[in-house]
Amino acid sequence: MGKIVANGIRTHFQRMPARCADARSAPTVVFIHGLGTDSLASFYLTLAAPVAAAGINMIAYDLRGHGRTDRPATGYRVGDFVDDLAALLDELDVEGPVHLVGNSFGGTVAFSYALAHPHRVASIISIEAEPATEGWGSRMSQLLRYLAHEMTKESTFADIEAKSGAHHAKLARNAADKFHTTSIVDDLPTGPLMSVPELMSIRCPVMSVLGSEGLQAGDPHLLGSVLHNCRTVIMQGQDHSVLVDAHRRVRELLIPWVLGMHSEIPWLYEAAEAAALGTAPAVLADNVA
Amino acid sequence: MTTTEASQEVVLREISDMLRKVLDEQGLDDTEITTETSFHEDLELESIDLVALTGLIAERWGESVNLAEFMAEKEIDEVIALKVGDLVDYVVGSLRANAGS
Repeated sequence: MGKIVANGIRTHFQRMPARCADARSAPTVVFIHGLGTDSLASFYLTLAAPVAAAGINMIAYDLRGHGRTDRPATGYRVGDFVDDLAALLDELDVEGPVHLVGNSFGGTVAFSYALAHPHRVASIISIEAEPATEGWGSRMSQLLRYLAHEMTKESTFADIEAKSGAHHAKLARNAADKFHTTSIVDDLPTGPLMSVPELMSIRCPVMSVLGSEGLQAGDPHLLGSVLHNCRTVIMQGQDHSVLVDAHRRVRELLIPWVLGMHSEIPWLYEAAEAAALGTAPAVLADNVA
Repeated sequence: MTTTEASQEVVLREISDMLRKVLDEQGLDDTEITTETSFHEDLELESIDLVALTGLIAERWGESVNLAEFMAEKEIDEVIALKVGDLVDYVVGSLRANAGS
């Protein structure tokens, strides 16, 4: 288990080098997990090994307040998570643009990171996630306040235990502790939130993977209609838990997506530069649905 | 790799010690761990604990025994139903395959 101090937070991370002759020149993906009971495990136990076996360097880490990373009392704006990721990649000496793979809130972090550091992002694979827009902020505020309130009631945990077992009730208590002992409920919805022009300025290729019954079921093509270079993949019969419930299908999308951008390594940097400047090269354009 | 090192009993004992280390805070000292012990129901192992166990297994037996690879081929209901014996079988199988190659 690796731990490193990044942005003042002792951060738990895991790395797997690409299984290839020259891992140093192989592409790198960074997995960013979701909120609440989630941790790097949801990526580490599903996609990490197949990704490394395919010749891609893998980094996964626990967000602040989650998993085995420190849980400070304050500092839970989206911007704090962006700063954490930038500091972590600096500390790990990761050079060149990386592919960010974000699940739920992890995808939100990925979009904000791409806005703040466009030259450090080769692409985003967003799984059941949306950027930190004003609409997202107000929905998150309502959701987090509702959850924090519900988790003050013992009956909530009794219901979870009756429905899903003692294990899930234990995880929910842990999440409740996070909601009640940190400023996450107040901080998170404040972003900083991004405007539509800011969202449109994200030029790296994006693949948005959604469940047909997921949180964006009402308008699954909204993100694709705003971003310049976004491929939307809707997985039929899946809900918000696409990553865990359909990890093999996500793997089948992710690996060709990343490797397809690295047929020649020097080209990677040209592609990232071009994407950042809004002149996506032809090979990237093929990936746009 | 000798037959003894790769035996079910030896591997079970070593994995049990690793589990006690991972679950140190939960006080498993007197809990008997057998091949029938469930990670989820009996040990209440969280998925992040499995990540820690992966690290200990790699430290002990090297890269040829890759728990992350083993888990990546399982569906979520198979992960929930996982027993210590399943992991022992995987480790023993990997060690023997490695010894034979």
